[in-house]
Amino acid sequence: MAVRREKAERLADEELMPLVGRKDAEAFEVLYDRHGGAAYSLAYRIVGDRAAAEEVTQEAFISVWRSGARFDAARGSVRSWLLSVVRNRAIDFLRSKAGKAPKLDFDDESALEQRPAAERTEEEALRRETATEVRGAIGNLPGEQAKVIQLAYFGGFSHSEIAEILSLPMGTVKGRMRLGLEKIRGELAEGLA
Amino acid sequence: MSGSDHNRWSEDLAAYMLGALVPREAAELERHLDGCERCQGEMRWLQPALHSLPESVERQEPPPRLRQALMAEVRADTKPERRPAMRRSWSWFSKPAMGFAVLVLAVALAAGYEIGKGGSGDGGTASPLVTHENGITMKMVPEGEGGTLHLAKLHQLPPDKVLEAWVRREGKVEAVPALLVPDRKGQAETTIADMTGVDTVMITEEPQGGSEEPTGEAIVTMSVPQ
Repeated sequence: MAVRREKAERLADEELMPLVGRKDAEAFEVLYDRHGGAAYSLAYRIVGDRAAAEEVTQEAFISVWRSGARFDAARGSVRSWLLSVVRNRAIDFLRSKAGKAPKLDFDDESALEQRPAAERTEEEALRRETATEVRGAIGNLPGEQAKVIQLAYFGGFSHSEIAEILSLPMGTVKGRMRLGLEKIRGELAEGLA
Repeated sequence: MSGSDHNRWSEDLAAYMLGALVPREAAELERHLDGCERCQGEMRWLQPALHSLPESVERQEPPPRLRQALMAEVRADTKPERRPAMRRSWSWFSKPAMGFAVLVLAVALAAGYEIGKGGSGDGGTASPLVTHENGITMKMVPEGEGGTLHLAKLHQLPPDKVLEAWVRREGKVEAVPALLVPDRKGQAETTIADMTGVDTVMITEEPQGGSEEPTGEAIVTMSVPQ
């Protein structure tokens, strides 16, 4: 059995993790309730399909349940760690689908051309509509920096693949990634100031 | 390391953090990172930017069935009720000091440990059991085959410590799965799923994450009438 739900709700994520490691279902449930929405949203953003996003989210949380002890507080928050697990699962999911390239979510025709025609579904068209609504600091980046970051993080493309897609030298791709992350970091720091 | 050498790796950091290096490149960078405090510092500085990316996506509401399916799988995992590692003889319990403590406690319990008021005439099996030790109050409230363990007047713990509950059943010690952390009032509680055959309940202070067997003396122990 487990700590009571009310008790678990009072604990910080970092305090819940040892309980999850001890197979405390109540603690795990609280963890899901806190971060399941963000996890599902991220999975959907990457795989672009609700059923697949459900599958990815469930697999990611089950892997956390079965290996909760792997969380290392020194490397960031529980939420960041959870979302990185979801992101990796989602990218793996995309790569495991034979013939399927990772989903893209911004208006880049040349990158879209790299993808099988079957991928250009109505649903994806709707998703691309929302591409311009990317929120947060990434939405304020210059387009060329946002593109390489989104292709890498949400698309799972390597820097050499991105260089090929965008017809850019690899050094330029890496440089834009760096500049983009630095700019986001700077904005976050300003927000804290 | 030369500055240009560092710069070469530094240029790859963002790509590495975004998962855009191929495995061979990532492994090379990780080897460099092990010995480069500058790169480690840069990575730490950039980390919040990376962590903001998943937060930037449009929010989608997960379907309720996802939660239901997930929790069903989780609860199915908890069905095996006893961890094999726990089914060992309570060698810790047989230490002379502990044996003495138990003897003293047994006498104390026989003399006066409280039986709650709710179970008169039924032998006390459905009544709360209460004991006091080291200034701590421990109460067991039976619920079905198990019960809820309430602790009060606990001291606050150092950040690297938790409390762990143990039961002795047929001479063998088992950990209660959930760990306990006192709240601001010095209270904590946990549930014991199955009290069948349990003759002793005890609490120890353990390192964060808990232990497979008690590593120190009990801070409070309760004998359970059979």
